[in-house]
Formats: sequence, C-alpha cells, structure tokens
Amino acid sequence: MSDLEQLKKELKALGAEYAKIKTLPPEERGEFGRQMNAKKQKLLAAIERAENDLESENIIPLDIYAPTAPNQSLPRLELGTEHPLMVELDKVVDIYAAMGFDVMESRQLDNEFHMFESLNFPKDHPARDGYDTFRTAEGFIPPAHTSTMQHRALKKYRHRLDENGQIAVVIPGRVFRNEDVDATHEHTFYQCEGVLVSKDATMGQMFGVLKHFFEAYYGQELKIKTQPGYFPFTEPSAELLIEKPASLGGKGDGWLEMLGCGMIHPNVLKTAGIDPEIYHGFAWGGGIDRLAMLKYNLSDVRYFESGKLDFLEEF
Amino acid sequence: MKISLNKIKSYVKTPAELSDQELITLIGSRLVEVEEVIDLAPAYQKIYIAKVEKAEPIPGTHLHLCEIDAGEHNAEFNQLENGLIQVVCGAPNVHAGMLAVWIAPGAIVPETYGNENFKISVRKLQSYESNGMLAGADELGFSSEHKTIAEVDPANARPGDLFAEIFDLNDKILDVENKSLTHRPDCFGLVGFAREVAGILGLQFTEPPIFENINKSLKLQNQSLVDVKITDPELCPRYTCAVFELKDNTPSRYLTEDAVFLAKAGMRAIDPMVDLTNILMLETGQPLHAFDYDKLVAVGGKKDSAKIIVRAARAGEELQLLDGRTITLEDFDIVITSNDIPVALAGAMGSKNTEIDASTRRVVLESATFSLYHLRKTQMAHGIFSEAITRFTKGQPAALCGAVLEDALVWLSVQPLAINESYPAPQKQTVVKITTSEINDLLGTEYTTAEITQTLENVGFKVVSRSEQHSFSGPSATDDAPIRESCTNGSTLKVTSPAWRTDIHIKEDIIEEVGRLLGYDNIALSLPHKPFVESEIDPVFRFKRQIRQILSHDLAMHELLTYSFVSRDLLAKVGQDPADSYEIVNSISPELQCFRQQIAPSLLDKVRENLKAGHRDFTLYELNQVTAKSAGLDADKVPVLSTHLGIVDLHDFYHLKAVVLALLRQKLKLDLSYRAITPDSAIAEAYPYLEPAHSAELVWRDRSLGAFGEVKAGVLRKFKLEQVVSALELRLDDLANADPELKIEFKLSKFPAVERDLTLKLAADISYWRVREMLESALQSTKLLFSVAPLSVYQATPDDSTKNLSFHLKFANLDHTLTPTEISAIMDQITVSAAQIGATII
Repeated sequence: MSDLEQLKKELKALGAEYAKIKTLPPEERGEFGRQMNAKKQKLLAAIERAENDLESENIIPLDIYAPTAPNQSLPRLELGTEHPLMVELDKVVDIYAAMGFDVMESRQLDNEFHMFESLNFPKDHPARDGYDTFRTAEGFIPPAHTSTMQHRALKKYRHRLDENGQIAVVIPGRVFRNEDVDATHEHTFYQCEGVLVSKDATMGQMFGVLKHFFEAYYGQELKIKTQPGYFPFTEPSAELLIEKPASLGGKGDGWLEMLGCGMIHPNVLKTAGIDPEIYHGFAWGGGIDRLAMLKYNLSDVRYFESGKLDFLEEF
Repeated sequence: MKISLNKIKSYVKTPAELSDQELITLIGSRLVEVEEVIDLAPAYQKIYIAKVEKAEPIPGTHLHLCEIDAGEHNAEFNQLENGLIQVVCGAPNVHAGMLAVWIAPGAIVPETYGNENFKISVRKLQSYESNGMLAGADELGFSSEHKTIAEVDPANARPGDLFAEIFDLNDKILDVENKSLTHRPDCFGLVGFAREVAGILGLQFTEPPIFENINKSLKLQNQSLVDVKITDPELCPRYTCAVFELKDNTPSRYLTEDAVFLAKAGMRAIDPMVDLTNILMLETGQPLHAFDYDKLVAVGGKKDSAKIIVRAARAGEELQLLDGRTITLEDFDIVITSNDIPVALAGAMGSKNTEIDASTRRVVLESATFSLYHLRKTQMAHGIFSEAITRFTKGQPAALCGAVLEDALVWLSVQPLAINESYPAPQKQTVVKITTSEINDLLGTEYTTAEITQTLENVGFKVVSRSEQHSFSGPSATDDAPIRESCTNGSTLKVTSPAWRTDIHIKEDIIEEVGRLLGYDNIALSLPHKPFVESEIDPVFRFKRQIRQILSHDLAMHELLTYSFVSRDLLAKVGQDPADSYEIVNSISPELQCFRQQIAPSLLDKVRENLKAGHRDFTLYELNQVTAKSAGLDADKVPVLSTHLGIVDLHDFYHLKAVVLALLRQKLKLDLSYRAITPDSAIAEAYPYLEPAHSAELVWRDRSLGAFGEVKAGVLRKFKLEQVVSALELRLDDLANADPELKIEFKLSKFPAVERDLTLKLAADISYWRVREMLESALQSTKLLFSVAPLSVYQATPDDSTKNLSFHLKFANLDHTLTPTEISAIMDQITVSAAQIGATII
C-alpha cells in the first residue's frame, strides 16, 4: 500500500472515530472535537504533500549546472556597474556623515595659496617637493592632497564656532601627483580629508575618532598604533596604523598604514581667521584607492582609471 | 637613510632586557618609520681572518696557489698535511704574510646575500683544489671596485678571528623614511638619532664633546691666511674654515673600520680626507668640504692668502663640478668663490678647479651652513641629490659648524695653519613658554610637570618650571567638584631648545616633543562632544550619488573614471579648442597635457578598446569635474569648476533620449525640457562633436545645461568607430540644489479602464510632439483618467510624404464604467482634434 493510500485510510478511520462524539458526556465533547480536528488537519496536509510528491516522481531533473535548458536562448541580464572607487568613497563618507561630519567636495584645480601657503608651507620650502605637483601655465595646481580644501572648510564652517558648536567636516576628492605610473602608483587617485575644530579637541579625540571610523568601516574592533609623521600643517603629526582586519586576512599580528593625521598647526587656524589660543583642531587624510585595493585584493592600481569594462564587470 | 643599530647603542646604553625588535618597534612608533631592517650578521657567517702563509704563482696563469691559516677553524675544512688550507687566488696583491679575509666553503659571498646568494664551495681551478676564496672588499660589500683582495691590519686581528666580530658586522641596519624627518636636521646625524632613542627610552642622553661644546665660539688664528666674507647672511648664516697641511692622503692598504662604517650608511671609502668629512657628516649631520688651498689661492689670483667670498651666483656664470659636468648657474644658486671666482656650488658640490689630488699640500676645510630654500632650488635645478645637500636642505644649525670643524682637526691630529670664520648673525636661542595644562589639553593627557621636564631634558632642552599652585583660602573644594592634583596642570615651563634643534619655534613644537617621546600610543582615546545637528552634505556630492544609483542600478549603465587630463589630440578630434584648456606644463606625457573641458570626449575615447574586448551595446557614464579657461575664475581666484555628467551610448538618438528622460524626468522628477539644435548656433559650437540635426539641447528654467545626440560621423571616424554612437554632456551644479519639480498625479479608478490602439496617418514633417499634444489635450477635455503611450512610428521610405503614428490609449472614469456611447464620443473628439492638424485615423 502506498503512503497516500495509507493516509487516506487513516482519514477515513478518523471519520469513524469522530462518530464517538455522540457517546461522550457533553462537557468532554469540546476537547474531543478539537483533538480530532487537529489530527484531521495534520492528515490532510500530509495527503497534500504525498499527492505532490507523486507528481514530482515523473519530473525529469534539470542539469542545474547548465546555463540554459536545451534549445533555449541564454538568459540575458542587464547589469550596470558602479565604479568600485566611488562605492568605497561613499562608504567612507557615509560613516563619517553618520558620525556627524559635514561633507564638502574637493576641487580638481587649485592654487598655491590653498595647496601650500594656507597650510603653513613656507615659500620654497623643501617640504613642498614631497608633493610632486602638476602645474598649469597660469600657476594653478591640480591638488596633490585634499588638504587643499582645509582653508575653505575652516572658513565655511567657522560660524559654527561662534555658535558654540564645532567644525567637523570630511572632504573627499580626486587628487594628483606627478609621478611615474606603475602597479602601485597612479598620478590620479582619491583621498578623503577630515577636519575637526573645537575648544577642547585633543589628540586623544583624534585617535578615538579614527579608531571608531576604521572599526565601523571594517565591522570589527581594531587596535591602532601610530608612528611620527611630518606635515607642515599639523603639529604634532602622526601616521596612523590599524591592525590588519580579519576580513583582509589579518590574524592580529600585521599592521596597515592608513593615513596621516595631526593637530592643526596654529598658523593654519590663524590664516583661516580662527584664534588658535581658543580653538584647537585635528585633521587627517587618507587614500580611497588603497582601501579598495585592500578590500578586493587588487594588485594593480592602474585598472581604476583604465576605463576597461572587463575590470568594472568584476564588481 | 641607513642607521646602524650598533652605532646607536654605542651612544645609548639601552636596557639589557630590551630586545632589538622591541627597540626598533619603539623607534618606529616614536621617532621615524622604519622601512626595512637589514640584519647583517647572516651575511657574514663562516667568514674568517686568515693569514696567507704561502702564495706561489701558478705558471702560465695570473693565479696564485696559496696556503692559508685560519687558526682553530682549519680543522673544520680540508687541511693539507701541514694543517693549512689550500686556496687558489687570482688577485695581484696576494702575498705571503698578509692577513686576508677568507670566505670558507659553505659560506655565501656577502655581496650576493639576499639576492643570488652565491654559495662558495670546494672546487678545482687549473687542477688545484681551492677551498673557498680570499675576498675583495667588493665581495664583502664595502667597495664597488674589483681589483684586489682585502688586507687586514695585523694590529687589529689574528688568524681565525670571525670577520664579523672584527669589523662590527653583527649589526642591524635600519632603513628609515627620510620624509617624516624633513624638519629634523639633527636626526640626519647618528648622534642626533641616538639622542632621540635615549629620549624615547626615558634616558638622559650623554652628549659627545662636539655637542657639549656647541655654543662655544670658534678660536680663530692666523686669519690673514684665509679671509672669509659672506655677502648676505640670508644665504649663508655662518662660514667657518681651517687651513692645514695635508699629511699622507693615500688610502690605507688595509680594509678599515671606516670603510665598513661608511658602507653601512650606503657610502664608499675614497681617501682619508674625503672619508673624514663623510664620517663626520654621518655622525653629526654637518657636511664638510675640502678644497686644495694652493689651487684656491691661485684661482683667486692672490699670493699666499686666500680670500673666500660667499655670494649669490650670477645668472649665466659657469662652473665645472667635481663630477665633470659644467653647469650654468642661476641667480638663486649660492657659490663659494675665491676672490669672486666660483670654486664650489655651495652645499652641493665642489669644483674641479680646487679639487684635492695627489699633489695637494695644504687643505681648506669648510664647515658652513646655507639657506635651505636656496639649496632646494639648486638641488632641483642641477639635479644634485647627494648626502650633503640632503642634510643642508633640512637647515643645519649655524652653531654646529665651528664645533664640527674643531673636531675634524682633532680627528686628523693636525695643527691648523689658520682658522677663520664669518658669522654675521649668530644663532639665537629659542625659548618657549608653555604651561603643563596647554600640553595636556592638546594631547588629551595628564602628564605631570616632572614627567614633562624630564622628557625634554633627556634630549637636551633646558626647562625651568614655575609652579602656580592655587591657594584654596575660600570655601574648600567639595567632593562633587574634585580638583586635579595641582602639580599636573599648574606649572609654567620656560623651555630653552638646544642649538641643534632649529625646528623649535612655538608651543606646539614642544607639545609634539612631549607627546611623541612619551608615546602617542599611550594617549587615552576619547571622542569629541558634538551637538545633535544633522550633517550638511554637499548637494553636488549627494546628487551625483543619486544619479549613480539610477544609471548603474536602474538603467544598467557602466560607471567609468577617466583622467582629468586629456591630450590636445583628443580635444582636436572632438573639435574643442585646446587653447581653452588649462595646460599642464610638467605633464607626464602628451596624453595628459590639458585639463578636460567636458566628460563625453574622454568616454568616447574608451569605446573602441571596449568593443575590441568583446563588449556590445554598452552605455558608459562618468561624473566628474571639468573646466575651461573661458569659464573664468571664482572669488578665490581659481578656475570655476563644474561637475558634469557625461554619457556615451552605443545606440541612436532615441535610445539615449529614453535614458535621459528616464533619468531626469521619471526618476529625478526634474522639469527639464529639450529642444532642437540649430546648426551654427552657440549650442552647436559648445558640443561640436554632436550632429546638430540628430541632437537636442537640454534646458532647465531657461538655462541651457547640456546637450545630447548622435556623434558626428566624421568624429566617429577619428575614433575608428563604425557604428552609431550617442553622447550626452550635462552640467549638474544648478540641478543639484533643485527639489523634485514634477508632481505625481496618480489616481486609480475602481472601474475598468478602456484600452484602444490608435493609428494616425499624417504628413511626415509634422512633429511627433504636436500629435502628442493634440491627443493629450483632447483627452484632457474629457476629465477622465487617461494615459497615452507611443506604439510605433512608421514611414515606408525616408522620403515618403506621410507617416503613421500609433498610440496605445487608456482611459477610465472615476465614477462608473464607461458606456459604449461615452467611449465613441471620446473617439469622435479625437478624430476631430486629429483633423485639425491634418491627421486621419486609420
């Protein structure tokens, strides 16, 4: 006897059993009826399943590994792609914005004043050489760092200080270095700058903010450490390293150099009309390309601006 | 820069329990990034001092058959009957009795260590067994010349000694990143580096005499022999020099400790005089230069007295440098002259005309400092990147020049014939007043006055603290307002920086020292206190993100990023004027010379290679900044930049139009309209690559924001494209701030809608737009819910005088089901309206 027949027989038997209800005292009938009903529902569901199973027995299995059924055309999906650098940049900006940072965008052509002078680089100082800047015939500079926006950011938001608030802004953007291109060097890349100014900003807060950011970005707790750095526009200055996150294969031993940071130099605040005796600030800047390279385990930075769909379709 | 760890340890007694690795980690976290640690010890295993007992020429060859003695190590190798080891050696200077360096079988040639790792074995040369080799200084890694084998001074070693022990090679070399020390001239000397290491470890640094005596004035003597004049103290704050007789300057026949010391820093031994200047530079950071005194006197046209004048170069002056190049000087260069005739490019390189050579009897040794700003330009203009100029461009302190000069004389053990200097503006001491609370408030720490004072004094600062204890004569502090320990925050410090710290000027410089030496990693983390106000996101940034979502996700387009710089050639191809592009004067290649004016041309340039890679039917877009000179400058006097959307679509006008409308009207709800482009109009000029007859201008609030359409056939040919390609260029800046303008008027009737397909026959030159307007206004008058969707456009041949337009109409009443009578009344109304524009329903 098949399962189905067996079940149907049971259902019939249940009907016969149900007839007993009449013999029961009235106060027991309700409970008896409920139990009988539950049994019936269970049997009916089992019968439904058994009937479906019977039909399935006759279905020829698909080759699930084939791209299509025989003699059918391939399914065609129209998938678009967002550029991986822009996706990463959004992710970075989203975290900072959620932390309460305003967002400005960097500009791709600037001048000596914003790129160097407003950032406390003395004229002709050798520190300027480290930036390998491009120049136009008019003396404009495709900026070599998003710090070129610091002066503007300070001026734009300094009213917040007067209103007893603080300046907190991040500035993503495209920057340029005049250097030979190879697998790890691009003349065009993306950075995100951060600036915070308040009456009580400390270096401890800076490290706290950055640790928080990287933990949010990598979705895990991370150790941080520093090494001294030198930037004319911050003092003290440091390079921030984070513990290699588990998602990048970290096992708690390796370190990744992530960004340069420091307490904003009083001259930078002064130039932007902020009194450094009252206000302190910190700033940092880090590369977006590097985050994307690490995340996707990319070996060649040149793919990003190559315009190759073969590359983009990997994302 | 390469730093020997042993050398550092010779200056600083590091705690015994501190491992090298821990020390290096501390250096990395508190002084400078250590890029690489090179452990020398493994490269010098199984290399011994050996005495050559016998060296017989092998007839008919340049080789010698040698018997050597490596003391107790002989027994570890194939010995001759007499207990010695047989080695074949091809060097001309091998001779019996010498102490040589023996690379024993099984050892790796140090020079190849880490690269090809060439391992020495027992092998036969001219039928003689050779056990290992006698090494040249080059094979040991201390020279680039391969001529002779190294000879060791018997006063320093005996056979069997480990070579690495005799020459201090059980050492680690730290390769540090110079960039983060740009402001630290003192750290470009080993003493300065070691001082910092002491500071990091919390140890008081013991200054060597040069630095102990840094503020003493130089004892001048016999000044008439060498007159010194500085024309401008800005160029050269101090110039000191000494004249002395040069004793034997022939290089030692022995491999010297100096050669090894120099090699560890990546330099090579040359002759005793040059080596001395280099060693002192490595130790102190102060470069020195030696001139031939008699040549210098002769160049200046004087007799037995030198007149050194330091002055700005005159543009066009020529100077032959020591490396043989003759350069034309610029007015920012500084020159050392002998009675106005240049004899050296200051800080960079000496000249041939005063070079030390075998005939040199008397030497002028220069110890000076120059304007780092000028030297930076010199460095760039003449391409000189020597160890010396690297140090000068950090700003060497004037105070140090005299002390190093005196030390050099002691080292050389010579009696100076003359010492002179010009020091027009003596270096001033920097004193910074700061409170402990200012330090703690910026760092976020609670360091005590004692901790801070000790930290600074360890590295040579002088600190005088004045405690400003608060008196609590009033009501005493309550429990809920605890007062911090007064010694934490209550002191004013008067900090005098040592003469070698030319980088200390302001409070923050002192704060950095304290924070760094005590360790940034020891600062307790906190978060800023921030009021709850929403973040202000740049509207263009937000808008771009919204567009990306729609284009990539809804419309299946591909987002590219292409360079902001394009070639003149690309601009010319699309008909844009290269003269309107900002031009990069130091571009990497002609491909990246002009700042782009629009995005679409860059995308057009990427079509062919993607087609060749097998992609079909794609649509590319990019969101980025563009500018042109004609856009002018903004209030900051920088070029006005705009953010553009560029699209390139491998379909015709109508496909791109569908994309544009879906993006701008349906998704962004912006009331953008489009209109035809007249040939030769300003719009046609602005998008010279678009075919005006197949393109439309995009207009918003009477502003022209862009255009889209098919790319001209001639332009496509230049990009080697054979199919129809359409492009869009749209300025986003104005739109980014706009709120959605198109309102949604969506209503659903409970009653079934009537659907009708309708084909209108009409003159071919009547615009679709007019027909559509006609249908919409006819339906509008019925007060029904309705929609009009295009079905097809049919024209038998392109020159046919009529065409058929088909539409799908849908209409419904909100109150009741439409009756057949009502429906035919609507259709009649449409027939009448159609007739008014000359269309008939078929």
